[in-house]
Amino acid sequence: MSQPQLGPPPTCQSPEHTCGVSVVHEIIERYGGNPEMLIPMMQDIQAAEGYLPREHLRTLGRELGVPLSRIYGVATFYAAFRLQPKGKHTITLCMGTVCYLKGADQISAVIQDEFQVKPGGTSPDRKFTFAPVNCLGACALAPVMVVDGEYFGGLSASSAVDILQKIASSKKPSEAVAKADAKQKTAAQKNGRGSQNP
Amino acid sequence: MTANDPNTRQNPHDLPPTGESAAKGPAAAGKKIAWVREPELGMAGRSYLMLFLQGLRTTLRHLLSRKTTVQSPEQRHVVPDPLIYRGVHRLNRDAQGRVKCVACFLCATACPAHCIDIVPAESPWPDRQKYPQSFTIDELRCIFCGMCEEACPVQAIELTSLYDLSGKSREEMVFDKAKLLSVFDQTKDAEPMTKGTGTFFGLPVSNEGTPGPAEK
Amino acid sequence: MATIYIDNQPYVVKDGQNLLRACLSLGFNLPYFCWHPAMNSVGACRQCAVKQFKDEKDTKGRIVMACMTLAADGTRISIDDPEVRRFRAGVIEFLMVNHPHDCPVCDEGGECHLQDMTVMTGHNYRRFRFRKRTHRNQELGPLVNHEMNRCIACYRCLRFYRDYAGGRDFDVFQWHNYVYFGRQSDGVLENEFSGNLVEVCPTGVFTDKTLKGHYTRKWDLQTAPSICVHCGLGCNTIPGERYGILRRIRNRYHREVNGYFLCDRGRYGYEFVNSPRRIRQPIFRSERSGAAQPVEKQAALEQAAKILGSGERVIGIGSSRASLEANFALRTLVGADRFYRGLAEAECRLLDTAIALLRDGPAPAASMSDAAQSDAVLVLGEDLTNTAPMLAYSVRQSTLQREIGLTKRLHVSWWDDAAIRQALQERRGPLYIATPAATKLDDVATEVYRAAPDDLVRFAQALAHALGAEIPPVSALPRKLAALADVVAEALYLARRPVVVCGTSSGSESLLRAAGNVAWALSAAEHRGQLCLVLPDCNSFGLGLLGGGSLADACRAIQEGKAETVVVLENDLSRHADQAALKLLDEVRHLVALDYLEHATTAAAELVFPAATFAEANGTLVNNEGRAQRSYQVFVPQGKTQASWRWLQEMMVAVGRQAEASWRSFDEITAALAEALPIFAAVKDIAPPEGFRMAGQRVPRQPHRYSGRTAMHAQADVHEPTPLADPDSPLSFSMEGSQRQPPPPLVPRFWAPGWNSMQAITRFQEEVNGPLRGGDSGRRLIEPQPDAAIRYFSDLPAEFEPRPDEWLLVPVDHIFGSEELSALSPGIAQLTPAPYLALSASDAAGANIQEGEKVVLAMDGLHQALPVRFLPSLPRGVAGLPVGLPGMMHVTLPGWAKLSKVTAS
Repeated sequence: MSQPQLGPPPTCQSPEHTCGVSVVHEIIERYGGNPEMLIPMMQDIQAAEGYLPREHLRTLGRELGVPLSRIYGVATFYAAFRLQPKGKHTITLCMGTVCYLKGADQISAVIQDEFQVKPGGTSPDRKFTFAPVNCLGACALAPVMVVDGEYFGGLSASSAVDILQKIASSKKPSEAVAKADAKQKTAAQKNGRGSQNP
Repeated sequence: MTANDPNTRQNPHDLPPTGESAAKGPAAAGKKIAWVREPELGMAGRSYLMLFLQGLRTTLRHLLSRKTTVQSPEQRHVVPDPLIYRGVHRLNRDAQGRVKCVACFLCATACPAHCIDIVPAESPWPDRQKYPQSFTIDELRCIFCGMCEEACPVQAIELTSLYDLSGKSREEMVFDKAKLLSVFDQTKDAEPMTKGTGTFFGLPVSNEGTPGPAEK
Repeated sequence: MATIYIDNQPYVVKDGQNLLRACLSLGFNLPYFCWHPAMNSVGACRQCAVKQFKDEKDTKGRIVMACMTLAADGTRISIDDPEVRRFRAGVIEFLMVNHPHDCPVCDEGGECHLQDMTVMTGHNYRRFRFRKRTHRNQELGPLVNHEMNRCIACYRCLRFYRDYAGGRDFDVFQWHNYVYFGRQSDGVLENEFSGNLVEVCPTGVFTDKTLKGHYTRKWDLQTAPSICVHCGLGCNTIPGERYGILRRIRNRYHREVNGYFLCDRGRYGYEFVNSPRRIRQPIFRSERSGAAQPVEKQAALEQAAKILGSGERVIGIGSSRASLEANFALRTLVGADRFYRGLAEAECRLLDTAIALLRDGPAPAASMSDAAQSDAVLVLGEDLTNTAPMLAYSVRQSTLQREIGLTKRLHVSWWDDAAIRQALQERRGPLYIATPAATKLDDVATEVYRAAPDDLVRFAQALAHALGAEIPPVSALPRKLAALADVVAEALYLARRPVVVCGTSSGSESLLRAAGNVAWALSAAEHRGQLCLVLPDCNSFGLGLLGGGSLADACRAIQEGKAETVVVLENDLSRHADQAALKLLDEVRHLVALDYLEHATTAAAELVFPAATFAEANGTLVNNEGRAQRSYQVFVPQGKTQASWRWLQEMMVAVGRQAEASWRSFDEITAALAEALPIFAAVKDIAPPEGFRMAGQRVPRQPHRYSGRTAMHAQADVHEPTPLADPDSPLSFSMEGSQRQPPPPLVPRFWAPGWNSMQAITRFQEEVNGPLRGGDSGRRLIEPQPDAAIRYFSDLPAEFEPRPDEWLLVPVDHIFGSEELSALSPGIAQLTPAPYLALSASDAAGANIQEGEKVVLAMDGLHQALPVRFLPSLPRGVAGLPVGLPGMMHVTLPGWAKLSKVTAS
């Protein structure tokens, strides 16, 4: 099973974050600089920036007197916090027991390979954010993934990539989804019980 | 029950640390000793006649059986199964020709004659942390028990079927890494590494890497 | 006392402890991970499960965690119950799901708590067929190696690092199966106790990086009980050697001194022993400035006889880092009145003041354990983390003491660590720190006071006055400060075991005396104030008791023509003497030096003898509380190296003074020392004599699994060498000997059947956290005078006034770099800062100096260009100068200096 990699998040390159320090100060002031309100402050930063830029966390730690390690501990504990900017589409892949047994790890490996994205990370072209989760509660569809709220069940490694490539190239996501859905159904029939090895 | 009760036990370590009392520790509590009496000999046993005849029978059997003596060195002894024979050691090489040893010290530790000495160094290769900078076996001290081979987690040390080990000096019989690797080069064709046949705690061991469970 | 029943057998245990502690104290094998004797219980790992029964009739029972259950009177438990055994094996099996099978290549293999516990529970076959989770490792600096895949998430590292050692750059990340212990990003672990992670971690996540460079398994190390030489605290250590190379240092438990831990300087400072700069052979220079020629031992001794036998005008300069025996041998060689201590005049005065405070006053010296159990601590002028790191650790623990008392009403057991910390939140007991600059303990301090040394004295005297010392009140004290003095006085007075910490590193005698006043005033109240004085070197206290003049006195003797030959023992004089004194010593007619490393003094000497380091010779060292402790030889050094006292004895024989130097063994010289100087009478009794045997056998320095004995020398010589004899101790240089537990001063390693890791310690203690079986080792040489009439000191310097064109330089110590020997170890050297000058930002702005800019420091005729570094906490008009860093000149601090900017040439 692959896992979210822990490591230094990339420094923010987008121009809107260069002035981020003032955002942090404003948020800290909003909560009266109380270190106990760390999580709400981080939520606000994420709401403002879309994720938690490294520089912002550094400023936050310095201003509140909370060690940076502690802030990262909180940020990595809650799946709701993001340390990297989000892609255009979010792939949520179920890694629960049933999906795992039906080859979710192979699907995960192929997605990682195809889009150069690490679990919890975003692809270099900012198209996809890949988030394996522990269970989507849709075991009957196993192996299942959700792309931007849309469920895709009975996947195989190749059908998953097909769907994602369609979504990536399509200007109208729903259209791509419809096409992919039809194809995925036939693939599922062909493979019998979903997918094992591609 | 109070502390003064004779049945109340104190800390077992308060007892004097002799061998006898050590056995009375928590592990041995409640065990009984069974005394075994030496059996008495009957008439036949005391006369030794039967034993004498048994001995003669063995001698006669060997006189009449097939001779196994080999006229060495003109004739060479053929080792029935080289893979289980315990002769001179060799240090195996992996597919890339590097020494397989990972300098874990298990052979040196298992060695009852204390005749293996390893000096580790940080490995120049990415696939392992350490490798043996020097690896020495004093073949004169070795008792060829095969424990080193048994202990090795990566099948790097093996005993070959080379049995006629000789040298002109004692120094010559101290085998260093180069010499042990040369034994491998010499014997690898006749005695391939035990590929896939070994086991590690009941699990099959592959020749490529460290032991692990077989994937179905 | 409570009676508990374990598998239907009654046992008597102490009240109020938990079952795990009770079982381990009784000698049962009960596996555990998250519990640690110094860190108590959190009940996280579920490994120490036992079955508890309501009464005799209850056969069903229920599984409880031993570490979280009170061993109350009448408790009935079973360790052997099949169900609970299966439970424990199951827990290990879960932990093993992700633990790699890399024991043969893991540095922890063979001394791994996880291995021991796995064997103990009987789990031996992996049923989980899937892939293991993997992590990326971090680069944590030159001392600690990180291998996160091996983690079993017991949280011990985090608890130690954050809750106990006060580190802030290490935490747990992520959740569930992926929990990750590390820094927020790669980088050197900032905490000074990070090396303890190696011992705290039950498996191989954190391993010793310096050991990795010359790796040896635990059972292949030759070890002996030793004492750390890198500061004055005298922590007990276990150095390990193989092939003549010192491989690592491990902690040796001592209840009163260092407990379970060591600082990074003590753990990683050992590599100077393997330094290429070691002197291995006697050196002779026919001309003083000429090239060094290695000579044979006999020739060197003959040369020494020629020099020493020429006349009476020989003086000896001792050392605070040499053992008592070596100093005594030199004192015997030159005569008591011609023995000098090898310390600058100021250092000598500080040392004498400190010893006098402990010897003449009513306040007893506080050991580190006393400091840790104190419920109110006052630190005066010492940056403990950098001058006496393990004491800083103890003081940090002390801040919990009073508050733990307050949690009693919450009905929380004292060993329930998580509950206690939850209840306490950020509340900490009284700790007051008065120093010139910020210290690393400030985060747990109740109040801090930053001032120049003179102002610190005024504050301490005001405090002593408030506590009732018969000294005149301090006039013109700022109102805020007077109020602070009252607050501190009240906190100390209300405490049950207050400790006053001071030391010599501030360079102020008045401050030491004022600290004495405070402790004595507390003692006078109810006989309970304790005094903890930090001394710079491992044998400063011993040298202080031995007596003798300072280096300035030695220079005077040379100038007056009373000395034309100087014998220097294990001392780099450039660290203690100024330029003028050094020049004088250089020009003396004959200079003989004994030392282990090349330095300025050995470079100038006519004759140099290779001396043995702490690992190569026995020695007695006296720590800062006056405790004499024995350190044993670990291995026989290469070349002609031998103990300094042996060289000196041989020199005396060579000049025909056999009668005076009749000592041939270590026991004989200690006996001679005890006889010559009654203050050292106890020294000969602190450890068993050479003739001590257990069942007729010596104590082996090598473990019974020592490998390669017949082959390790085979390439040099096929004949197996006979084990070397040790005429100096009951230890042997072989694996043969008694396997029973020796008396505490002789314990060469902690190992017990089934317990290969450091956790075997519980098998060596009388009870968990108690003394080693046989009592605490070492003995205090001086005792306080509880009934003596107290004569308070009335030193009262004037208030500190910043000068317009001068700066008061105060010493700034560094844990890595300020100590001579450890700074030569590559790992420590990497962490040593380059020389600099510390200024507060506002002062620097006033003088128009930028950070990083070079300024020339002029003081006592000394000129040195140093880059400026900002130290925001420094008071106005005060500058900090790091002491002892390689490349720094010796200056007596505090002192006034002029700074001038370097003009671009």
